[in-house]
Amino acid sequence: MLYVQNREMVVPGQLIAEDGYRVHEGAFREGKFVYASVVGLADLREREVRVIPLQGCYVPKRGDVVVGIVVDSHYSGWILDLASPYAGNLFVSDLLRRKVDLVREDISQYLSMGDVVVANVKDVDERMRVQLEASEPGMGKVEGGKMVELSPMKIPRVVGRKGSMLNTLERIGECKLKVGQNGRIMIWGRNQQMINAVVEALLMIEREAHISGLTDRVRQMLEKIKSKGGK
Amino acid sequence: MEKPEKLIIDGKRLDGRAPEEMRPLKIEAGVLKRADGSAYVELGENKVLAAVYGPREMHPRHLQRPDTAVLRCRYNMAPFSVEERKRPGPDRRSVEISKVTRQALEPVLFLELYPRSVIDIFIEVLQADAGTRTAGITAAAVALADAGIPMRDLVSSVAVGKIDDMIVLDLTKEEDQWGTTDMPVAIVPRKKLVSLLQMDGNLTEEEFKRALDLAFRGCEQIYQAQRQALKEKYAIKPEGE
Repeated sequence: MLYVQNREMVVPGQLIAEDGYRVHEGAFREGKFVYASVVGLADLREREVRVIPLQGCYVPKRGDVVVGIVVDSHYSGWILDLASPYAGNLFVSDLLRRKVDLVREDISQYLSMGDVVVANVKDVDERMRVQLEASEPGMGKVEGGKMVELSPMKIPRVVGRKGSMLNTLERIGECKLKVGQNGRIMIWGRNQQMINAVVEALLMIEREAHISGLTDRVRQMLEKIKSKGGK
Repeated sequence: MEKPEKLIIDGKRLDGRAPEEMRPLKIEAGVLKRADGSAYVELGENKVLAAVYGPREMHPRHLQRPDTAVLRCRYNMAPFSVEERKRPGPDRRSVEISKVTRQALEPVLFLELYPRSVIDIFIEVLQADAGTRTAGITAAAVALADAGIPMRDLVSSVAVGKIDDMIVLDLTKEEDQWGTTDMPVAIVPRKKLVSLLQMDGNLTEEEFKRALDLAFRGCEQIYQAQRQALKEKYAIKPEGE
């Protein structure tokens, strides 16, 4: 039995469902009752309950792509700030994809403080120590581009259903985006005006993430700016 | 102000309220831009601001707990919040209130989700008129929810007391000063658990039961206002349309 409607706003402790529902993030079970644990929109799908949070911090999860900033280095790697309560650790060998002889090679040539790195979360242990790797193509140190920081809870909206929002942004904005699950987004493009337009669009997504019809509004806004730029 | 002869005249209190009536309550969520979560509460003449930061990395490192987050709480009264200037900084009273506030809120938080981190709560009393610790807890619970921190429930809090041999809800400064008893209570509304209960003065067993029952009824009103405040912050309003 359900006590709220799909997409209804819930607050912590609010009763959502009773009996036989599977519980995902943003909700918890007590006995046979399911309650919300965060402020958000109840997302109900056949016998599954989750709450889409509207606010919150990023917690690293294995497999996430993140955009980190180098804040410290150690003997065999670097510490990356992930815009999260937990910093990430990146070993040289996980950056270069080969064995590195630390005695012969000076690793400071690869990354220094303040560098931006796109990486993959390789592992997170129970004490939330985060292991990163930057081995896939398109990962590693970032050259050029613009970085935007949004609330990490709004990232699913930036990507959209099956990447629809991301496609719209890249196609109309004529730029390339790299979306980190930790809320940081890298933008590369030739046309400065369109880059700025995409930044505006991203900020709009953050503000209006919980309102439906967002992809269309973003498309309209970008096309308007684009047509003005063409004149 | 001189001590009035009577605190209740013809069943009405000094400010015209009925014994079981609360002062006007206003709650607003998300008032501070740079905080992760915040709330502002006005309860009569009380004006209280709460800000939540975190979960974030714990410094100093030796205070980290490897298996859970740590909750830190600071209750502070502004020097201008009371009639006679209050000397700024923590004192015996505010250290105690910080501690009981933390303990009132801890049971509703899923702290084990964020090991090694810290959640900071700052409660600033801008204007005080008795019952600031309860207003602080009410504000802090909304601020925590506004920060997106997973919670089992909100926490609602109100004071009850005895003046002129009568059990009343939500005492003002005069009633606190000249009354016999002041009893702040914080409640986890859904499961009807008491997470803070202090008492200054004395009550008979019968009076205590009535007072606690009144506190529960007061907290229910506050709980509804808290939920309303959280829902209002995200009410759908697309811009430019």
